[in-house]
Amino acid sequence: MPGMTTADAPDTNALGADAVISVADLRKTYGQTHAVDGVSFEVGRGEVFGLLGPNGAGKTTTVEILEGLRSPDSGVATVLGLDVRRHADALKARIGVALQTAALYPKLTVVEVLDLFRSFYGRGRTAAELIDLLDLGEKRTTRTQDLSGGQRQRLAVALALVNDPELIFLDEPTTGMDPAARRSLWDIVESLRRDGRTVLLTTHYMEEAEVLCDRIAIMDHGRILETGTVTELVTRRFRERSVRFDRVDALDDTRLQSFPGVSSVKHEDGEVVLFTADVPATIAALLSAVDVLGAEPENLMIRRATLEDVFLDLTGRALRD
Amino acid sequence: MQALLQLTAANIRSFVRDRAALFWTLAFPLIFIIMFGAIFSGGGDPTRTYGWVDLDGSARSAELRAAFASVEDVELIDASQDESLEAMRAGDLRAVLVVPEGYGEAIDALVTAPGAPTSIAVYTDPTQTNATADTYRIVSGVLDGVSLAISGRGPAIVPEARALQTQDLGFVSYLVPSILGMALMQLGVFSAIPLVADREKLILKRLNATPLRRWQLVGSNVIMRLIIAVAQTVIIVGVGAVLFDVQIAGNLLLVGGFVLLGSLGFIALGYVIASFARTEDAANGMTSVVQFPLMFLSGTFFPIDQMPAALQGVARAMPLTYLADALRQTMVGGAAFSPLWVCAAVLVGFLGVCLLISARFFRWQ
Repeated sequence: MPGMTTADAPDTNALGADAVISVADLRKTYGQTHAVDGVSFEVGRGEVFGLLGPNGAGKTTTVEILEGLRSPDSGVATVLGLDVRRHADALKARIGVALQTAALYPKLTVVEVLDLFRSFYGRGRTAAELIDLLDLGEKRTTRTQDLSGGQRQRLAVALALVNDPELIFLDEPTTGMDPAARRSLWDIVESLRRDGRTVLLTTHYMEEAEVLCDRIAIMDHGRILETGTVTELVTRRFRERSVRFDRVDALDDTRLQSFPGVSSVKHEDGEVVLFTADVPATIAALLSAVDVLGAEPENLMIRRATLEDVFLDLTGRALRD
Repeated sequence: MQALLQLTAANIRSFVRDRAALFWTLAFPLIFIIMFGAIFSGGGDPTRTYGWVDLDGSARSAELRAAFASVEDVELIDASQDESLEAMRAGDLRAVLVVPEGYGEAIDALVTAPGAPTSIAVYTDPTQTNATADTYRIVSGVLDGVSLAISGRGPAIVPEARALQTQDLGFVSYLVPSILGMALMQLGVFSAIPLVADREKLILKRLNATPLRRWQLVGSNVIMRLIIAVAQTVIIVGVGAVLFDVQIAGNLLLVGGFVLLGSLGFIALGYVIASFARTEDAANGMTSVVQFPLMFLSGTFFPIDQMPAALQGVARAMPLTYLADALRQTMVGGAAFSPLWVCAAVLVGFLGVCLLISARFFRWQ
């Protein structure tokens, strides 16, 4: 994976000439709201890069600036070597875009919409190819107003590929999808990665970011809080793992704290969470302690910290809120 | 170019698949024509009041007059040629019959020796097809009878057809261009609804993320509407001609020019509405608010000079008044409410104002 950083600092300029997207100190204000408040990041060729954050974090505004749909108040954004402010038209011919909401002519069929969009570029992949790729064969002559949410989203992704773009923007591509549809969209993103295309996607689903993205930028309140691979983001903050089990009344916090390796104790929804640098020693101590009490620790679990924990640690809020 | 054509095709498909749009633009005006046409064309104007102009003043011409006067329902009004034609133009006479000077002598000559038939002039309004046909039926009947009495052989007197455009259009002749004007107005004004819907559904935003240019987007919408305007014109005029015998008497280029100019003006008005309506529901409401006064206060269903004075002032402010007026003048020779050049100037001005407003206020996202 390119662009590894070792420090906590955002990794601007780490990619240099290899950057497909390069953003420096981007700002966009609507009235009193700083939708994008000094955002900087880079995306390398062939990367699947994720902007992860809650709704209203500024992900969509950032992406739409990069797509040439909005112009920034200040800052520099270069996409495929083109300044988004000055060369938006040239840029639009080379990128693929799926908006947060699939915007489709309701009365046109799947084939008609694909043919229509292809005509805007004067080149690209045929409707038949894309229908095959996105598994829309059964729906090829269905009007888009009669498609399910997942099918609409797949068609929106197909439209983003119609000009055979080297860079694809997917804004919340799986929002509102059922698990099966989400899975199939993930497969599509995987296939884009295999083709060597660069993908910038936004999501507020932790799991999606973990599964799909080579690198992630965590966004909140118009700022990027941290950038890196999932492993980097987690280990940068959490060297320890957590040992969790249902609360055992006879074991108080002082006792738990005394187990080997344990650095801190927390309670979450009737669960005890032990943060430990030495998982085997902690568990051994726990098992012998409950054994003495004639009990068993219910729902015992060892977990590495997740992006959720990272987000919670960065913002003091859960991402799902 | 490919993009423009494809987008135009997409717009036409969307339009044709939208039953409400189809109804309002194609069925609704037809319903009006057929309904009003059926009510008013059957009875028509039963009075066979003809102007009688006798330039000969002979016994023969008096004989002919008596022959006409004896036909049931025929009433003859004697006057000079100028007075008679003026009265016909004003709608008081259905036809004017003119007996030329020397008529008596010609008939006398025919009685003694065979020769070429003589003629009398018959002025009718060819745009009033039913009335004209009725007049010729009466005239032929009388002339044949008189001819037979005079010569006993072939025709001695034949009608010489003269056309005179009257201001008194048959109601259906009045209605067809009026309804066409109304239909073009609706076609244009209703362009606001899909436009706002496309914006609301973020389709305009999605298009903006492609290399498609805005002029291509607007151009495809306008081309689509103009194609439908031509279809409307053909259908409305065709139904008028086939069902109610309304003939297009005017210059087709001029008619086409006003159809084009009117359509463009009202499409631009649609863009003005789309500039201020944020949701499809709002666009629906605003088009109704705009189209109903235009429909009822622009002389579509009854002539403006029959409206109360206050409403006439309102009618003068309605752009549709000038489109319908121009179409009536150019299609069926209707009386001018305003001269054609004024109609053209008002419509060009209206188009310009609408373009300026939409250029200033229209939002793509």
